[in-house]
Amino acid sequence: MDPIIKTVNLSKEYRLKHHQRILALNNVNLEVYKGEKLGLLGPNGAGKTTFVSILTTLIQPTTGYAIINGYNILNDPNKVKKNIGLMFGSEMIYYRITGYRNLKFFAKIYEVPDYEQKIKEIARMLELDKWMNEYVERYSTGMKTKLSIARMLLIDPNIFFLDEPTLGLDVPTTNFIIEQLKDLDKTIILCSHDMSIVDKLCDRFAFINHGKIIKEGKKKDLENVFQKGIEILIEITRNRLELFNKLSMLDFILECHEVKDGLTLILKDRDDYKKLISVLQSYELTKIEEQALSIEDLFLKII
Amino acid sequence: MKFSKLNIDKFQRIIRKTLALAEKQIYMQFRFKYRTLLNYFAPVITILMPIIILGRFFQNNVNFGPWNSQNYIIFIFIGYNILLLRGMINYIPAHLQQEQYWKTLPALIIAPFNRYYLLFGYFISEVSLLSLPFFVFLITLFILYPISFMTLIIVIILFIGVAIVFSAIGLVLGVITVANENISSVLTFIIGFIFWASCITYPFQLFPGIIQNLISINPIYYLINFIRLTWLENNIFFTVVEHFGHFVIVISSIIIAPILAVIMFNLIYKKLGTSGY
Repeated sequence: MDPIIKTVNLSKEYRLKHHQRILALNNVNLEVYKGEKLGLLGPNGAGKTTFVSILTTLIQPTTGYAIINGYNILNDPNKVKKNIGLMFGSEMIYYRITGYRNLKFFAKIYEVPDYEQKIKEIARMLELDKWMNEYVERYSTGMKTKLSIARMLLIDPNIFFLDEPTLGLDVPTTNFIIEQLKDLDKTIILCSHDMSIVDKLCDRFAFINHGKIIKEGKKKDLENVFQKGIEILIEITRNRLELFNKLSMLDFILECHEVKDGLTLILKDRDDYKKLISVLQSYELTKIEEQALSIEDLFLKII
Repeated sequence: MKFSKLNIDKFQRIIRKTLALAEKQIYMQFRFKYRTLLNYFAPVITILMPIIILGRFFQNNVNFGPWNSQNYIIFIFIGYNILLLRGMINYIPAHLQQEQYWKTLPALIIAPFNRYYLLFGYFISEVSLLSLPFFVFLITLFILYPISFMTLIIVIILFIGVAIVFSAIGLVLGVITVANENISSVLTFIIGFIFWASCITYPFQLFPGIIQNLISINPIYYLINFIRLTWLENNIFFTVVEHFGHFVIVISSIIIAPILAVIMFNLIYKKLGTSGY
């Protein structure tokens, strides 16, 4: 299967003051397949926005190229534009006109058929229907973000580029937006510093720093690479110190730390479980749980 | 048959997209109605002093080229309408810059949207907004200095042509504004000087010789002067034959300016991009 997005040696250099230059993207090669939801993660200034800006034809790469749904961004930008949608938080909507006028404008320039009906349906789905005839400047941040999502759903592109789609939103609204996006059968490229939404929404991750993709893959694969052992949480009410001392002496325990109400330890191998259980049998445990690496843990380990 | 249907469909799509942009612009402009309406009166203030000064001159039976006490009303009223349309040069840069600060510019740039739609969308919205004071002045002039209906139609077409040229200049200035505000301020100053040397408010003959030489190489002057002469002579065939050089500059400017503007927009955007997002 051909990738829906393919970047080939994509680089972007910016000129700064006093003849200085900065390489915002450095030979980025990345493939994204149809229907994938890719989380693009990196610290501030890593090159995420530059990467998205190039793929959405907003800026030109210095060298390299990208193919979007079969079209080269350099040679066929207009065909690329028909395949993509970009959302940047609650921006890219007009505050001085009503929500309805915003959606109508985008529906017309993207030639959306039966847009009146679609606008009604999307507004109802996003609980914006009562606000559609109000000026956007009167909307709350959450409502503006919902309108931004409504714009994306209305134009219905093949590929969604989402840059901080939940910035400044409360937890219920964030969850609501994630649920809406999760159900979409679309290719999504998501840039966000909110690791929880990236974790909930994406099935693949690419870590970018200093303009380079330094690691990419599915969460399980990345865990296998970066988890040096099996992390286990033990909750114990009595003899915690004694257990801590005992576990710290064992050669199949790589690390052991005291935490509130118990201990965390890193087991060398899955085969060592039996040996661990035999040690723990003589203690009264309230909980024993294997800890998976969160995307935040992976981010901190990789970046 | 199939080919022509395809062309009609394409044409309808172009019109729909262009009108969508124009509609959005008009709604945004009318969010603050007083500001929009007050813009109509700014040219009146600019033209007031030339009216007083020229009035004094013509009291003494002085002629400046074809302009005298009987017909200088044409010069002044057409000057007002040109000043009104001159606002179109600043309209596109101002709105593109607003889009840049509102962070809506990327939405416009990544839309499957030909730059001609952008040019004519802005053009239609501004022309619609200016049409009220424009026609008030035009009809008043028609009453004060009547011409044939055919000449009136041609004058209106010429004004539309001039508005297209001004919009095209605005589009180029607009893309420079979003790419580099510094350069755009310099260009705005140069454009201000070009318009000063295009005889909008004072007749050519009033300027000293050295400035007359400068005016003679200014195409904007010929655009404006041709409209005035068309009204004054009230015979388009005579005007075209008599001022053929003017006519060639007018027609070529109206055809070339939008094409050149779109090419320059794409080149400049490709090269410099936009600060923002």
